Amino acid sequence: MATVWRWIRSAAVYGILISWLAAVIVPLLWVCANSLRSSREIVENPFGIPWLIAGAPESAGDVDPWESARANYEAAWVESGFSAYFVNSILATGVSLAGILAVGVMAAYALARYDFRGNRLLFLFFISGMMVPPQLVIVPMFFQFATWSEWGSYVLAPFCVIFTLHDSLTGLILLYIALSLPFTILVLTGFLRSLPRELHEAAIIDGCGEYRAFWLVMLPLAKPGLVTAAIFNFIGLWNEYLFALVFITSEAKKTLPLGLAGVSIQAQYRTDFGLMFAGFVIVLVPTLLVYLMLQRRLTRGITVGALKG
Amino acid sequence: MMGAKHRGFLLVFLGPAFVLYGLVVALPAVRALLYSLQKWNGFGDAEFVGLANFVSLFEEGSLFWAALRNNAILALAGGSGILILSLLFASLIHRRVRGAAVFRVSFFFPNVLASVAVALLWTLLYSTTEFGPINALLASVQGALGIEFIQTPVTFLHTSTLTWALVPMLIWTATGFYMVLFLAAMENIPETYYEAAELEGASSWQQFRNITLPLIREVLVVGVIFLAITSLKIFDPIWVMESGQPQRESHVLATLVYQQAFSEFAIGQGAAVAVVLFVLVFGISLAALRMSRREAIEY
Repeated sequence: MATVWRWIRSAAVYGILISWLAAVIVPLLWVCANSLRSSREIVENPFGIPWLIAGAPESAGDVDPWESARANYEAAWVESGFSAYFVNSILATGVSLAGILAVGVMAAYALARYDFRGNRLLFLFFISGMMVPPQLVIVPMFFQFATWSEWGSYVLAPFCVIFTLHDSLTGLILLYIALSLPFTILVLTGFLRSLPRELHEAAIIDGCGEYRAFWLVMLPLAKPGLVTAAIFNFIGLWNEYLFALVFITSEAKKTLPLGLAGVSIQAQYRTDFGLMFAGFVIVLVPTLLVYLMLQRRLTRGITVGALKG
Repeated sequence: MMGAKHRGFLLVFLGPAFVLYGLVVALPAVRALLYSLQKWNGFGDAEFVGLANFVSLFEEGSLFWAALRNNAILALAGGSGILILSLLFASLIHRRVRGAAVFRVSFFFPNVLASVAVALLWTLLYSTTEFGPINALLASVQGALGIEFIQTPVTFLHTSTLTWALVPMLIWTATGFYMVLFLAAMENIPETYYEAAELEGASSWQQFRNITLPLIREVLVVGVIFLAITSLKIFDPIWVMESGQPQRESHVLATLVYQQAFSEFAIGQGAAVAVVLFVLVFGISLAALRMSRREAIEY
């Protein structure tokens, strides 16, 4: 009797977990499958195995599933400009990340390692940014950028350069760096404080200047902290939508989330759904690959953050 | 002490962060506060109107209350769903199952997917066309039972029902994150507590209720605060699903800020909503700090 009861219980446990697993994965698989179907197949065979894999039925007549799958991805990648969105996203995320880590680690190092007057206050000043919702910053920044662009153009006018922060990846990157600093400084300060003080002192005694001690001794030690900060910022920026929406207007400068949103809004008024499914897969695949590579660090980062802090 | 000697070094290291953060985050936040006291269309002269923008926000039947109500629905319905499921899954995985890593990694994944992509996915799932799986499922269940509760296809994403339609999407997205959070807390509980309870003949529910829950209380509080803050800040899915034109029934605070400032050029009104949003987030965060006395990392 006891063993039967136990068996039922473990069946229930796995039943629940596997149901949710299916709820998470099946919709994603369905989108991937639909990205391989022509508009006609989506109507005729919306939930089955794609004709590309299972073969088209006799009734479908003379169709080439390879051709329709290729057409979907070509429509998304070339015609809808996902290739450009992709490059823009990599640029915006990559340059921002480099900037965030460089600026962030220097500030965090000074805050973590030097007892100057106002240290605590400055730290709080930076950290308080985490409570500022982006909506509060975005309206003034919209007008602020106009002013700065004017100044920039004025200065650069002799060189025939038109300088603008609106509708420019430079402007977006500037925003991304500044807005990511509070979180980055919090993480890195916490990490740098945990490093032994003696190493820094030993470096100074051995004749390193403050800059060399930082560059040669402390920075290499800070690598795990930098990786954690990089991962979280990467996910946030790669997926960022609101600031891109407000500040980027031209097709050629859109990032992936902005481009995908555009496609999905248009798609309500048109019928080539295959394009939309393919666009989704183009966004999904890199995220999935990066996630699978980094998931261990990612989930550990979250738990350390919430538990220890 | 150390400070004076290293003035140059400190300036070089702190300067860039201070200038960037100051000019792009701190200063604009203060300017938003000033905007909220003005009437301005973004081009002409601004006029100081005191608290008039806030007064009109809080008027009965204002868009603000409608939007806040939707934020509350998302926080309460979505939040409780997320909490219940994430606690359930965490406690199931906690009590040793095969393939725990597979469950954990898969459940967490929707959380790293772009919110725009998630919104598109659910737009497709809710689709009223022939290929909309949720409507197809509903139709086939009704067909099998021979009863028609509701006429399909159901327009789940219609403006009037959008907020409720978002609840399953939020649960789908966020449950894995909170599960990982709670699971980590549960793994810190000594195994002997459960062994002792087992000997005493405590049921699984009793063990959960009397051992697990009290011992992860602090992380639970952090989780609830995260949930409250994220449901206040939500913007992307509503903006995407409403094609950038949310209506009275579908607005939330964040979309209201955008629409008033950038579509209607009522900068002061938009800023006032943003200030209220900030006050709410700030209030919740402060309460959280008080309660847990920890630095919580949000992302």
